[in-house]
Formats: sequence, C-alpha cells, structure tokens
Amino acid sequence: MSDDTRHSEPNVLDQSWRTWSAVAVVGIMLSGILLGALIIPIVQGRGAGLDAYTAICRALGIIPGSPAQPQPSDRTPPTPVSQVIWTPDVLQILARADVRRGHEKVQEVCVSCHGETGVSIAPDFPHLAGQSGAAIYKQLYDYRTGSRSHPQMTDIAKALDESVIADVAAYYAGQPQRNPNPVTLAEAPAAIVQLVELGDPKRNIPPCAACHRAGSGGPIETPVLAEQRQEYIVLQLKLYASGERRNDVYARMRTIAAKLTPAEIDGLAAYYRAGFR
Amino acid sequence: MRNVERLCLAHFWVAFAAFVVAAVLGTWQMWVRSPLGANVGTPGQYFMSVTAHGVSMAYVLTTFFIMGFGYFVAVTALNRPLPGKAWAWAAFWIALLGVVVTVIPIATGQGSVLFTFYPPLTASAWFYIGLVLVVVGSWIWCVLMIVAMAAWKRDNPGRPVPLAMFATVANAVMWLWTTIGVAVELLFQVIPAALGLVQTIDVGLARTLFSWTLHAIVYFWLIPAYIAFYTMVPRAAGGRLYSDTMGRLTFILFLIYSLPVGMHHLLMDPEHGNATKFIQVLLTAFVSVPTLLTIFTITASLEIAGRLRGGRGLFGWIAALPWDRPMVLATGLGFVMLGFGGFGGLINMGYGMNAMVHNTAWVTAHFHLIFGGSVVIMYFAIAYDIWPRLTGREYASLAPLRLQLWLWFLGMMIMTLPWHWVGLQGQWRRVANFNYADPIIAGWGPWVIVSLAGGAILLISAILFAANLLMLHRNRALALPRPLYALAVHPPQRVPAALNGFGLWNVLVLVLMLAAYGYPIAQFLIEPSPTAIVHRVR
Repeated sequence: MSDDTRHSEPNVLDQSWRTWSAVAVVGIMLSGILLGALIIPIVQGRGAGLDAYTAICRALGIIPGSPAQPQPSDRTPPTPVSQVIWTPDVLQILARADVRRGHEKVQEVCVSCHGETGVSIAPDFPHLAGQSGAAIYKQLYDYRTGSRSHPQMTDIAKALDESVIADVAAYYAGQPQRNPNPVTLAEAPAAIVQLVELGDPKRNIPPCAACHRAGSGGPIETPVLAEQRQEYIVLQLKLYASGERRNDVYARMRTIAAKLTPAEIDGLAAYYRAGFR
Repeated sequence: MRNVERLCLAHFWVAFAAFVVAAVLGTWQMWVRSPLGANVGTPGQYFMSVTAHGVSMAYVLTTFFIMGFGYFVAVTALNRPLPGKAWAWAAFWIALLGVVVTVIPIATGQGSVLFTFYPPLTASAWFYIGLVLVVVGSWIWCVLMIVAMAAWKRDNPGRPVPLAMFATVANAVMWLWTTIGVAVELLFQVIPAALGLVQTIDVGLARTLFSWTLHAIVYFWLIPAYIAFYTMVPRAAGGRLYSDTMGRLTFILFLIYSLPVGMHHLLMDPEHGNATKFIQVLLTAFVSVPTLLTIFTITASLEIAGRLRGGRGLFGWIAALPWDRPMVLATGLGFVMLGFGGFGGLINMGYGMNAMVHNTAWVTAHFHLIFGGSVVIMYFAIAYDIWPRLTGREYASLAPLRLQLWLWFLGMMIMTLPWHWVGLQGQWRRVANFNYADPIIAGWGPWVIVSLAGGAILLISAILFAANLLMLHRNRALALPRPLYALAVHPPQRVPAALNGFGLWNVLVLVLMLAAYGYPIAQFLIEPSPTAIVHRVR
C-alpha cells in the first residue's frame, strides 16, 4: 500500500461512525429522560395519589416536592425564639446605619449605664465597646419584641425604631476595644483553656472558640466576649442554664450552659474578661 | 527534547513537593482524628490542615503533574518539538504564582474552607484568586496540547494520532469543559462575595455549578493513569497493547460521560427535581464502561506479555509477568485498589445507598482509595519510568522503588478499608474530633487507630518516593535510550476521523450538557431562589 492511498480518509466508514455514535449517545440520553421524567414519576405519583401532570412537574423541579410522596402539611408553624431574621433587607439596614445619629441617641439614652464609649458603669451592665453590630441589633430587637426581657431594657428598646437600633449598634461597634491585660492572660487554668479551645466532647460541649473568637466564628449574631464584664457573663450563663433567658436560636447557649459547673462558668467568664490569647 | 526536560522536571517537582507536604499533614490529621490524638490541636488548626492537604493533593499535585506529563507526551509521542515553549513556561509561572497566592491565606487561617467551594462559607478572596491562576495556567497547557496535536495532524494527514497524545488531548478538551462550571461559580458568585461586593449568595446555584466540575475533575486526575495503562504498561510488561481502538474509545467515553453526571454529588440536595437526578445517575452508570473496557484491554495486554514470557495455563501467565518492574507492579497493585474503589463508587452512585453513606467517612475513604491509591500509584510509576529519560541517569537498583510502591499499596489499604467500615457505622466526615467516651463512638476507636497506622506507612512511602527520585539526580550510571510507548497488536494504519479528533464528540458533549444542566441551571434565573448570607472565614 502506497503512502498516498493510506492517507486518504475512508469517508464511508466515517459517516457510519458519526451517525451511530450520535444515535447511541442521544438515544441513551432520551431513554434517561423518558424513564426519569415521564415513566417513573407517573408510576410513583399514582402511588402517592398525584395526577400525572403534577408528578411530572415535581420530577422536573418545576413545582416543589417529590413525585413519590404527598407534600407534608405545614399546619403547625414553629414558634421562633427570636423574631430577627437575617434577610438581605435587615443587612442593608445595618450596612446603612448612621454612626452620628447613633452617637446622639447614645448620649440621650444609653450613656447612663453603658457609657459614651461603651465602657459600662457597673458590673451588671455589659460593655458595648467594639461589640459586633449584628449582636447589639439582635439583642435590642429581641427586647423590643419580647424575646428577651429586662426591667429597663425592654421599655427602652420598645421606644426605639428599627433604624435607630441599627444606628446605636453601629456606633458602639465602632468604639475601640481595650487591650487585653497580659498579666491576667497568663492566669487561665489549663482546664478552662481546654474548654474554650477544644470543648469537652465527653459532655457534648463544643469549644466556646468555635463561635466566640477573634473575628467571626459562629452565626452572624454571635457576640464578641473578649474583655466583657465577668459578672455579666456569669449572670447570662446562669440565666441560660435555668432557661430564664431563651432568645438563643436552636437553644445553643441554653444547651451548653446547662452542662457547665459553677466553677467552669466563673472560669470561662474570667477567661473572656481577660480577652484572647 | 532539550529544555523540555527542565520544563517537565519543574512541573513534576512542584507537584511532588506539594505531595510530600500534604502527606505529612494528612498523617497528622489521621492522628488528631484517632483516640491517640484526642486533645491534640484545635479544630481551627485541623480545618486549616485539611484545607492545605486537600488543595495540595487535589489541585497542586494533579495539575502540575498532568501539565508536566502532557508536555512530555507531546514531545516524545509526536516526536517533534513542543510548540509555544515560552507559553508553557509562562503557564508554569502563572500557576506557581497561583499556588503561592493560595497558600498565604490558608497559612494565616483565612482559607479554612476545605478544598471544595461550597458557599455560603467563603475564604479570603486571595484563596480563590490563587486557584483561578492555577486554572488559567492549566488552560494555557490545554491550548498548547490542542495546538501540538493539530500541527502534527496537519503535517501527517490521515495518519492516526499516537494514542498517548490522543488521550492527553482528550484530557485537555475535557478539562476546558470541566472548568467552565467552577470558573463561573468563582468569578460571578464566590469571589464577589469574598471581596464583600455582595452580602448574599445563591447556594443552590453555586453547588450546581460546582457539581458541573466536581466529577469531571476527578477524571482529569485519573486520565494520566489510564494513559500509562494503555501506552506504557504493555511495553513495560514485554508485550503489546491488545487494542488501540479500545483505548481511543475509552478516552472518548471519558470525555463524554465525565461531564453530564456531576449531580450525583447533589443527590441529597433539595434544589433539583428527581428526574434531573435520575438522568444524571443513569449517565453516571456509563462512566463505568470505559473503566471496564480498560480492565479488559489491559488484562488482555498483560496476558499477551505473560504468554510471550512462557506463562501457561489459565493463570500461569500472571506469575510469568515481570513483577520486578515498577510499572508492572504498580499496575497490579493499582488494579486491586481500583477494584475495591470502583465497587465503592458504584455504591455512592445509587440513590438509596448514597443516602446512607453520603455524609459519612465512607466517602472520604472512597476517594482516598481510588484517587490516592490507584491513580497516585500510577503517577509514581510514570515518574519512575520517565525520570531516567528526563535526567539521563539510571537507577542503581529497582528495589527501593518496589519497596515504595508496596508500602503505598499496603498503607492505602490499611488506611482506607477500616475507614470505609467506620463510615458504614455512621462516622461523619468534615469534623475535627470525636468523643470516644461515647459508647457508640468508642467502637470506632480501634478501626481509626488501624487507619492511622496505614497513614504512617503512607508517609514513609511518600518520603521514600521523593528520595528515590532525588537520588537518581545524583546517580552516576547513565541511562540507555529505550522505547517508551507500547505498540498495539495491530498498529493502526488508519482510523475513522471520529477516532482521530474531537469535533464530533464536542458536539455530543454540548448536547448532553444542555440536556443535563440546561434547565437545572436556568431555573435559578427563571425563578431566583432565596439567597443565603455570606459567611466569611476571617
């Protein structure tokens, strides 16, 4: 065979390759569509009491639900522990907050307990300097809707509207945190450090630092605990443990706090009062 | 071939350096997960380590190895200089810059999102930008491979493209298709979110786009192993390739059926209808066809070699094979791991069984066995086979090479089989530590310790692998020229154009992708779903 004849492509052979491979590939695909989008949903839908059209639409994802099951009833709505929902609208309100107006409102209302720069005047009141804006917003909103209650804060929050809450939150969030004291940092006992960093798997306690850490760890509303008032943290953990405070989503903090011993609550509060290492 | 050796070696050494670092991290992770390593390291450190391990193994080792091997094949199989060598070096430096840009956020704890791009969790934007640069480097490689094959075909009209090059270009074409999904996800969703330009992200759309890439990327990593099976193993065993056509069909089937199947990673996701999932699972079943073709063809090729070497009877040819040669040994060991891993994969593919194993350690064990086992052991064999050609030097002894391959095989089996088992018992994945005091979990402890022992063996093997290659650079003995690629029993004189190029197959891929992903992606634009708040790792 000479080189020239060998180089001429066998067109007839090519044509059949093209045709049959396309038929095979498209045929497999079409049989998949026939089975998956028509036959199976119709048969499944019959068992679930659905008409063929609904079953096919469900299989294709055009209407929600499975073609094999009736749609579950949603007649028992859950009762949320907090009315705050982090929708894009809420995030926009937070992002557009006016720090200057927040400052004015702080001077008018908040200053007497939380201080102008967010350094509180007494152990029972939390510091707010450098606190996460989303955390302040959530707590004020929860006071307003009754998800959390406090003799003074409930009435104060009810008098603020949503944009003012966001302004105040943004103002305090912008105040600088104080520096942690290196002397107290060295004092944390190893067991407390372990609880913060590793938790206690034996008691199903996740590490505190999974959420409460420098930067963000947990959900958006997670408060910054570094340099917080020790007495305030102790009080809140006890309120969570007793179930008196219940505005934590999924009962995360109620579950954890109920497992902590009083000594651990004191130790953790002291650890976070000192800041982070 | 001058200078191409340096190009190939540069790629391979970046790949293998990342591999050794990742092997150390992987062993540490096995320790932390075991009862022996309880209370070692924080979850933060664990997830940082898992991210670095995954990125190094899945993106750096693979991409650089495949690029280096592709250049090597283009020069040796086509027997002509590489077109656009300057572009190849540019691609290397772009990809290497990408690696550096990715590593910095990982090392500073701003990239601990594992190696999958699943929002709303997002890392520092640099993490993603670096990986985009790695992909851009690989795109240049794809174009160079396609150009090299086109130039050869222009100069050799009507001749069949050598199988090794045909397969490499199949991989390049597949990779271009593959990366579209993740590129769209990163550029239009994840990077804007990581930069803070948007505050919410459509998680369903992002997961769908990632699934586009997710299965085919595994075949991108796998194809070099298959290139070795078809073009190097029969020669190393002293025989011939049973069928060249079977090889071409295999790589074409990989191109077609790797892509419209990614939704089998989303079987438990709510954003897609059952019919879409069914269709993609049906197509997934066809991915097993090229692997079964390969096992048949390579076993037949090895039988030819065994019988040529005097093997008789039903199984006598197996004993007659030259198992002392690293390429043959790696193939045998790789096939065993491919067998176990392949059956595990068939289980993942079934909707009902997937529901049971989906979020368990079974899945992690599966991809370690099939990728870390059968694919990476062939990377070793390829490196061992071509290193004398790249360095011009010969091994003093093959014994350390065989030892390394055996250790890898044993380590991988010892690590992954108990890992599968605890997965079946419900051990979840993507968690940093386990409460072995819990009576249900306590039973996993011994199995996890066995896995850790396997991990330690793998680490020894990884270090020995790098040492074997490094020693060769210093060896005195000079390599003799020897053929690289196997001849087929019937070397192809001419093949249909359909088996000599990718035009037809690209059209079919487009048709399949439109059918499989058209509506599932379009639905997000027709009726946008609720979006999730971006959660940035800082």
